[in-house]
Order: sequence, then structure tokens, then C-alpha cells
Amino acid sequence: MNKPNKVEFKVWGKYALFTDPLTKIGGEKCSYHIPTYEALKGIISSVYWKPTIVWIIDKARVMKKIRTQTRSAKPIDYSGGNSLAIYTYLTDVGYQVEAHFEWNKYRFDLEKDRNENKHFFVARRMIEKGGRRDTFLGTRECQGYVEPCRFDEGVSDYDDYGELAFDLMFHGFDYPDESGKPELWARFWRPKMVNGIIDFIRPDKCTIKKFVRKMKAEKIQTDGLGEHGLLEGYVESEVAQ
Amino acid sequence: MSWMHRLYETYENCKSMVGKIEDDNQVPLLPICHTTQKAQIEIVIDEDGNFRRAKVIPKKQARTIIPCTEASGGRTSGEAPHPLCDKLQYVAVDYSKFTGSESYYQAFSEHLSDWSKSQDAHPKVLAIFKYVQRGKVIEDLISCKILHVGVDKMLLKKRRETKKDKETIDVFDLLPGRENKKKDRIENWQADAFVRWIVEKEGEECPKTWEDRTLWNKWIDYYSNKKNQRGLCYVTGEEKPYAEQHPAKLRTDGDKAKIISSNDWGGFTFLGRFTDTKENNTYQTCGIGFDVTQKVHSALRWLISRQGVVFYVKDGVKASPALTIVAWAVSGAQIPKPTDDAFAILGEENLVSDESSVVSTAQELALRLKNKIAGYKAGLGDTSSVVIMGLDSATPGRMAITHYTELTGSDFLERLEHWHESCAWIHDYGVIEQKESKKVKRKYVRFVGAPSPKDIAEAAYGSKVDDKLKKATVERILPCIIEGRQVSRDIVESVVHRASNRVGLENWEWNKTLSIACALYRKLNEKEGYSMDLDENRKTRDYLYGRLLAAADCLESFALSLSEKKRPTNAARLMQRFSDRPCDTWKDIELYLTPYKARLGGRAKKYMDVIDRVMSMFDSPDDFTSNKPLSGEFLLGFHCQREKLKPKKNEPQSIDEESVLDKENENI
Repeated sequence: MNKPNKVEFKVWGKYALFTDPLTKIGGEKCSYHIPTYEALKGIISSVYWKPTIVWIIDKARVMKKIRTQTRSAKPIDYSGGNSLAIYTYLTDVGYQVEAHFEWNKYRFDLEKDRNENKHFFVARRMIEKGGRRDTFLGTRECQGYVEPCRFDEGVSDYDDYGELAFDLMFHGFDYPDESGKPELWARFWRPKMVNGIIDFIRPDKCTIKKFVRKMKAEKIQTDGLGEHGLLEGYVESEVAQ
Repeated sequence: MSWMHRLYETYENCKSMVGKIEDDNQVPLLPICHTTQKAQIEIVIDEDGNFRRAKVIPKKQARTIIPCTEASGGRTSGEAPHPLCDKLQYVAVDYSKFTGSESYYQAFSEHLSDWSKSQDAHPKVLAIFKYVQRGKVIEDLISCKILHVGVDKMLLKKRRETKKDKETIDVFDLLPGRENKKKDRIENWQADAFVRWIVEKEGEECPKTWEDRTLWNKWIDYYSNKKNQRGLCYVTGEEKPYAEQHPAKLRTDGDKAKIISSNDWGGFTFLGRFTDTKENNTYQTCGIGFDVTQKVHSALRWLISRQGVVFYVKDGVKASPALTIVAWAVSGAQIPKPTDDAFAILGEENLVSDESSVVSTAQELALRLKNKIAGYKAGLGDTSSVVIMGLDSATPGRMAITHYTELTGSDFLERLEHWHESCAWIHDYGVIEQKESKKVKRKYVRFVGAPSPKDIAEAAYGSKVDDKLKKATVERILPCIIEGRQVSRDIVESVVHRASNRVGLENWEWNKTLSIACALYRKLNEKEGYSMDLDENRKTRDYLYGRLLAAADCLESFALSLSEKKRPTNAARLMQRFSDRPCDTWKDIELYLTPYKARLGGRAKKYMDVIDRVMSMFDSPDDFTSNKPLSGEFLLGFHCQREKLKPKKNEPQSIDEESVLDKENENI
């Protein structure tokens, strides 16, 4: 990686639900007050992602006051029928995020695709377009919207707040395709929000980890455009200017 | 989320209060692996397991701290036995001989024997085990005349003959009734009696097993050693033995709802990428340390019992706990309840009764409240956190955390003070109950401050409001108190509307609704800056109309009181119409006043003066002649003017103060 390839964007929505695993098992989901690393990684991956790259979230800035709202839900059971539950969402959320990408070391087949400029410019363009796929803030029902921005612009509700420390929170999962091991690990950390800005630690720097289960990595290999049968029936020709 | 951390911290900070039973109605802060249960029978044995005596426990001393396992702590019916103290069904070998139904003694004795053989056994445990093994529990109780048998030598199902002596209590008085579905009535079933032990030994300082801390610790050690699955605790981040089940019984003793429950194996909630099954649960999703969850739930249960508010919802016949709001300081210091009204915060000692000749002004009463709240500051300190938590359940088995706010102590007190200042009015419905010989006398006391959310809900929707609506309204008002949000317009409109309909309510209820409406209207229009005293310079149409109505009402009421008639005044009857069409109705009211003016003669002067003055204050004739309906502001004018026109102590009563009827004050 030669040049810094930071992207900055803002994401906002009416509701967000970054579920706390402690409340998830019972079904009465309650949201964390700040987004998890994994949720933000998911958002930028929805905007633009290729198997060649791995997104790393650097910082996030909370723009709006943290407010919660409870809503009742009718979650459906496997066997038909439903139960009732109460979910606690964050309401009226807005974040500014700064992220950059690195190469996925474990995809050797994609070495030819490791073109910094290409991915960087496409990512920037996709942020301007609002994303290739739907973005959602935590859970699927919380629609999010993405726009480009400069990280420190604008006034946030927490500009002069000072420091706010959070207790042990979920950071993200180590999936086999990015860690190289056939295991699923969960990472945790203790975030600190200083004047609204949360500095995320890198996944490899997380010290508190938990082994979840054995997981097989999907062995996808691709030859890119050279794939057999992809361009069958097509002939290269010059386009008349 | 941080609620678990805060509760854990609170437990650690309040360690000195563990096990202290302050009030028999309240749940104490329990040591881990223990729960409380109401016991009915107390058996005294010696260190060798010989029966000495037994007695029936009076209700006030019934609450007992007993050791429990995860399974027995959350048991519903006939399964996991408690390790030491349990019902006769578990403890007595001869149960089936005397009742004819199955005894659960086997499971109980297995566990107890395991404990007595382990390295964490306690001499008391050995004694109890010896006694229980002899199998004469019920026999001994019968010979002591604690339990009663019939002619067939089986335990009686209900009392056979009436008690000779009304003072002594027997076991039938204390037993929880068991519903006999066939006969459709409650039966006192002696076998449901819960037993607790006392082991007497020479030199033993603490024969009572439920107060013996060494016994508690032995049980905790023994049970902790039995846990084998370990892993990362999601609360502390350390490796600890995992909890398999989490405690229930948080809001009330019979509450089966759990905050952390992993019962959703049949839904789409949390499986997905995790491969755990109910049979093979390796806690992939989430694991919590065993002692952590015990401490957290124990702290929560203690706090709810001590300083929480539980709202019940009627589900058919039963009332089950629903919304629960609890606020506490993490350091364990005392804080005022956010759901209290100003009267409850002040406390009875601070209020001056009507006897005194000094009539406190609104300012003095407000100042007293401010000082009381400021008094908590010293105990809290600046940096101590205050947590406000709201819990609710959609299904009887699970609870959700609907609110969670963490504030610094000073922030919390500031916001509470602001609430009581901005949403304040003069209220006259504070009740003090005084016991004089055998009667309970009720005194009504005036206080200044905000009404409680419960009272607001009742004022907005009626005293017979549906439980769910009451609960929802309280939930909506809570952010106004805690986060300083503005009250919702619809609640205010609803209260104002009900307060305008004077004939539809009884006198005490109307007065209460009136002052609550004034408080809420004042809060909604904070920027107008209404004062609680009469504002002689205010020229807004609605305010002046309110004053007019008050003057007419007081005049007529005074005249009626002189002639000792007790009918409602015309102004009272026409209040609803007045608020809809003030100008037309005023014409009628003024005409109705003529005979009373004539009757009073010179004594009517002060009321007529007010009416004249107010009439001249209307800015333009259009203001007066327009029939536009009045907003809630007229209630403010009405209340202030009525206060001003109220006679001082030496003058004859002209306002119906006596007709503030007795009302059962429900527990909040």
C-alpha cells in the first residue's frame, strides 16, 4: 500500500440497533449506544467491497445526541406463529466515519487485482452515489443513508462533551476468510468517546477475544476476467470513434 | 451494555448491606447463590440431629434467606429442590404417609448428602442431614401440634374447628392457599409449608441458619466449585465459570420474567451463524460469569424492592407486574425517586400541618422542596453516577430494558429540580395519615411542586384508566423528567379538557385535576413564565376570563355558605360551557349572580371589585366579545384568582374545603 487511501463518509438514519449480545439471546434486543466496529465495517462494505480488500475503520464521530426509543415487535418463530418482544433502538442517529482498506492477504488468487488507485477511486465514487447496496445500521430494518463528507466538518452534539468511557463492548468477528484460520473468533474492547470521536483499534490489536466455534473457510478462487467460459461468444473489436 | 457493569459496581459498593433484612416487606441485598422465601415453620434441632421443638413463624418474621441453585432459584413447580430449606414435600420422608401424594425427598436428600460429604460441608448442614434422614419430620411436627391430622391420620386440608383463641396464630393462618380447581376455592394445604432450621449447640452464637454468614460462604464455595464450563465473561472480560441459568423473581416474588434468558431456541433471534443447540449449549453467543450474574440480579432485585416503582397490568383476574422504573446511585447513596411527586420527596416531617397560624406562601413551599433536593447533593458528591432504568415485559417469561440513562449525581438532581420547578403548581391533595388511638385520621396538606407521572396519567384519562394506557403515559412522561424534554401536547390537552368539565368529577378529583392541569399547562408554555401567584398585570384573554369565572364562583359560593345551602354554584355548573363559549356563558353567569349580590349586599364588594377590574383589563372589546374557546390558560387564571379570594383563617369559610372526600391513596 503506497498512498493513504482514507475515505470519509457520513451515514445517518431514523433508527439504529447495534444489538448487545447480552440481550440478544433472550430476544428482547437492546442497542449499544455507539456503533460497533463490525457494524461500520458492514456499512462501508455495503457501499463498496471486493474480496481483494479488507476495510479497516479508523474513527467514527457521533453527530447527534444519543437517544433511545423502544418499539414492540412480533418476531416470527421457525414453526410459524409469533412471539412478542420489545426492542430498544437508537433513534435519529448520524455518524461521520473515516476508514481505509488493506489487501486481504489470504486471497492469493486476486493478487493481480491489487490496484490501489482502482479500488480507491471506485470506493469514492460509490460513496458519492450513496452505495452499491442497501446500508443498514446494525439490523436490517434500520435503513441508513450514506453521503460523502469531510470528517471534521459540521457541529456535533458532543463537540465539548469531554471523555465518555464505555464498558466492555463487542468489537467484531474474525471470520476465516480474513483471518486465515478455520475458526470463528469474537473480539471485545472498551471504547472511549472523546468529544464525540471514537478511535477504533485495529482488529489485530484487540486483546480480549473469545473462541466461538470451528468454521470452515469457503475456498473460493477466481481468475477474474480470465475465467473459463466467461467471455464465450464475445469477440474483441475496435470501437469506431 | 453498561447496565450490568453498573449493577455489578453497585453490588460491590453495597457489600456491607448484604444479608441485612431491614423491612419484612422489602427484599434484602442477597449474597450470591441465595434467594429469599417466606417460611412458615421453624424447626429447632441440636447438633446431633435430634428434634427439640418447633414453632409457627409470624408473618412479620417470615422472610428467610435460603441457599439456592440456579435451577431451584427459577423453579416453577415440582422440580429442583433447594439445597437446605424447602417445603415439607421435599424435606420429609414421611410425607407420602401423611398426605397420600408423592414426596420429592429423594432429590433433596441426594443434593444434601453430596454437600455434607464435600469439603465445604458445615456442621449445621451435617446436623440437618442427620435429622432429615431419620424421616420423622412430619411426625414430630404433629406431636408438637404444629401440623394437624384428622381421624384418618392424614394431614387436614383445612381447619377443622374454629380457633379457640383469636390471638395465637396457627399454621392455617400463614399458609399460601392452593387453588383446588375442582372445588373452585382456595384450600390451605398444610404440606405447602416451608421449613427453616435452627441448630442449637453450646457456645454457638448464631443458631439460626439463615443468619449464619459462615454457612452462606460454605454454600457459595461448594456451589462455585461445581461449575465446570468456563470462558470469557461478556461483562468483566475475564475468564470465569459460566452461569447456566439466570435468576428470575426480579420485580416481585412471583415474577417469572428474566432479563437474560436463552429460551429462544425456536425463533430466528440469535442463532444464524452460531451452531449451539438447546442440548449442546457451548455459549457461543454470549457467556456471563456465574458470580457476576448472581450479583447483578441480586442488586437489581434489592433496588427494585427498595426504591423502585412497579406498575401492574391486570390480565384477567391476576395483576402481573409490567413497567418497572428504578433509579439508584451506584455508590449506594440515597437519592429521591424521579417518579415521586413533590409531596413524597419532601417527606412528612417537613410539611407543616394546617394547624399552624402561618400560612406558607407558594414561594416558601417551593423553597423547602429545593432545599430537600439540595440536601441529597452532599450524600451523592459530584462524580457519583446515578442510573435510571426502566424494565418492561411483553411476554411473562422475558423482560426488556426499555430505558437506560446514566447521569452524574449533580446532573440528576439538577434535572429533577428543574422538573419540580417548571412543572410546578400549588397542590392541595397531599395526604398525611395520623394514627390517633384506633382511628386513622387523614390530613390534607398543601405542597408545591410537580405531580407524579401516575397522577398525571390518572388526571389525563380518569382514575379508572386502563393499566396499559397508564403505563404508556408514565413511559412518555419519564423522559420529560430525566432528559428535560417537553411534555407532549396531547397529554396536556387531555388533562385541561377533563379539568374544564367540573360537573363530571367529584369535588376532590376535580381539584386535583385542576392543579395538575395548571402545572402541566405551565410546563408546556414555559417561555410564558406563568407565576403561581395571581398576576394582576396579565392581559391575555384566557387568563382574564379565568379570573372572571373564579370571582363569580367565589361570590356565589360565599352566599351559599352563609345560607348553609350545599348545592354547586352556577359557575361550577357552567364551567364546561364557559370554556367553549366564554362570552355568551358569562352573560348568563352574571345574570345568575344578581340574587346573590342582593343577598350579600356590602359583603359582595370585594368580588365585584375584582370583576370590574378584570372587565376593564380586556385589551380590546373584540377580545371580550369573541366566543372562541378558551385554552388551558383560563385554568391558571381561575386557580390564582380563587386562591386570592379565599378567606384567611379568621374569616368564615366560603370555599368547600371540607368536601375534599376521603380517597384511598393507592401505593405508587
